[in-house]
Amino acid sequence: MTIIPEQKTPPTNAWVASIAAVFDPVFARLEQWANLVERYGARPGSVAERAELDPLVERLVIRAFADSDGTVIGAGFVSAPHFLGWHLAWWLGGQNAASPRLPADGIRHLETLEDPLDENFRDYTALEWWRVPAETGRRHITGPYVDYLCTDEYTLTLTLPVYRGVELIGVVGIDLSVDEIERDLVPLLGTDAVAVTVINASGRVVVSTDTHLATGALLRLPGLTRLLADPAPTDAAVGLHGAHTFQWCGRTGLAVVAGPAADRAPD
Amino acid sequence: MPKSIRAGSGTRAAIFAPLDGAGRAELVLQRLTDAIVLGVLHDGERLPSEAALARQLGVATVTARDALEILRRNNLVQTKRGRDGGSFVTFTGGSATSLQEDRLLACSRVQVRDLGVHYCAIAGLAAELAADRASAADVDNLERILDRTDAGTADAARRGQGTFRLEVAALSQSARLVREELRLQAEFGSLLWLGLREPLRRQRCRAVQRETVAALVAENGARARQLTVSQIIESIEWLIEAKSVLERTGRSTTTGNGTTPVSSEAPV
Repeated sequence: MTIIPEQKTPPTNAWVASIAAVFDPVFARLEQWANLVERYGARPGSVAERAELDPLVERLVIRAFADSDGTVIGAGFVSAPHFLGWHLAWWLGGQNAASPRLPADGIRHLETLEDPLDENFRDYTALEWWRVPAETGRRHITGPYVDYLCTDEYTLTLTLPVYRGVELIGVVGIDLSVDEIERDLVPLLGTDAVAVTVINASGRVVVSTDTHLATGALLRLPGLTRLLADPAPTDAAVGLHGAHTFQWCGRTGLAVVAGPAADRAPD
Repeated sequence: MPKSIRAGSGTRAAIFAPLDGAGRAELVLQRLTDAIVLGVLHDGERLPSEAALARQLGVATVTARDALEILRRNNLVQTKRGRDGGSFVTFTGGSATSLQEDRLLACSRVQVRDLGVHYCAIAGLAAELAADRASAADVDNLERILDRTDAGTADAARRGQGTFRLEVAALSQSARLVREELRLQAEFGSLLWLGLREPLRRQRCRAVQRETVAALVAENGARARQLTVSQIIESIEWLIEAKSVLERTGRSTTTGNGTTPVSSEAPV
């Protein structure tokens, strides 16, 4: 007799909702920022200027840092090259390791290299946190990754594209600390019956209730790579490798996998 | 938002990011020395004033002054008086060579070997973990970095090797390993890869980098670790050989372009 996956695999809807409850408020904030920047960009008959937009963005991000209990590491707006030139209106929080001398509610502007002729200049439009939202027109979560030049923190970057009409003028984004996300997420995923793992679109573990699965490791399950690469993904839960369930968390680039904990050979 | 600024402004932002913890003067010194030797701060570039530097790094002015004083003594910066005065980076291949040779002479063989052991522990495990944790996109990115790396001169090859090792460490997904890799590079990076002044060693280094990427693609952690460890050990042995030559002959007669081997007797 064959096993019908639907009878054996755990339901993932509840976890998808829990994960959404953590990330949706952050994206809601980004939507507000995107709207404000869009409105600024769409003012008729005036040229967009850094000197005007930067203070506007700074006022927005200050509130995000104040409200976040240390979850937010960095935040701001990154301009499309044709809008304000190569420009990051980006701030770092007072609570991370890179800014220990700032008061807890202080923020620091990120100084960046904006001259494309400089040998050290990097084209940020090729990077995942820019490229994916620019291509899909939707929100995206990049990471986790070690942010070794900015803050040394293990980071998730949430970005959202900003448009003037149909023209992309930049992305707004927030960097979150993976430590803090773990603190928020694990209690929501905790059950003793099944292991619940949140992964990104590369199959990299963001958090897991499975002791054997480290954050940052790649989840390896037969069929997972094919599901992650599916050009027409479904929002519904999908049976995976017999006893597991896979479900995308909306269009964030995160997915949840639930099932038996990874086997580990006894020593 | 780090990947945007990794090689450029981010490096600079990191250099002038505030410091925390004990041994601040050493940290200031280490960070600035590293930045100068790795070429993030260019020859002739003007450093912020003592007060500005202290403010940016979050240290006392006297700490910044001490660090600048040692940089001056190490011939890494020069201070000019007057209206257009300030501290300027004075770092060329020549000063790099003699500085590193002084350093090599001052280290005992035991210290040099122990540095190798420490670095093997960090970089070896980082490479092993990277083989397990690197995604296809990560490996593509690493290959792009290798393609862009210029190994034509000793300085470029050293910078390229530093970047490569840092990228591999980042693929381990361990913030601690990355911090330790950065710390070791800052402290010893320019010394450790001194052997890259020989063209043959630069070719060999590039080959090992390519083989390491192939091991990551094959998810062969043991191979990635082995390649890394044997590369470090070879480098350490080159240093010890070079040290022996320096001790026998006194100061070497390098021309100061940073590409001349210490001696033809140094191992290939």
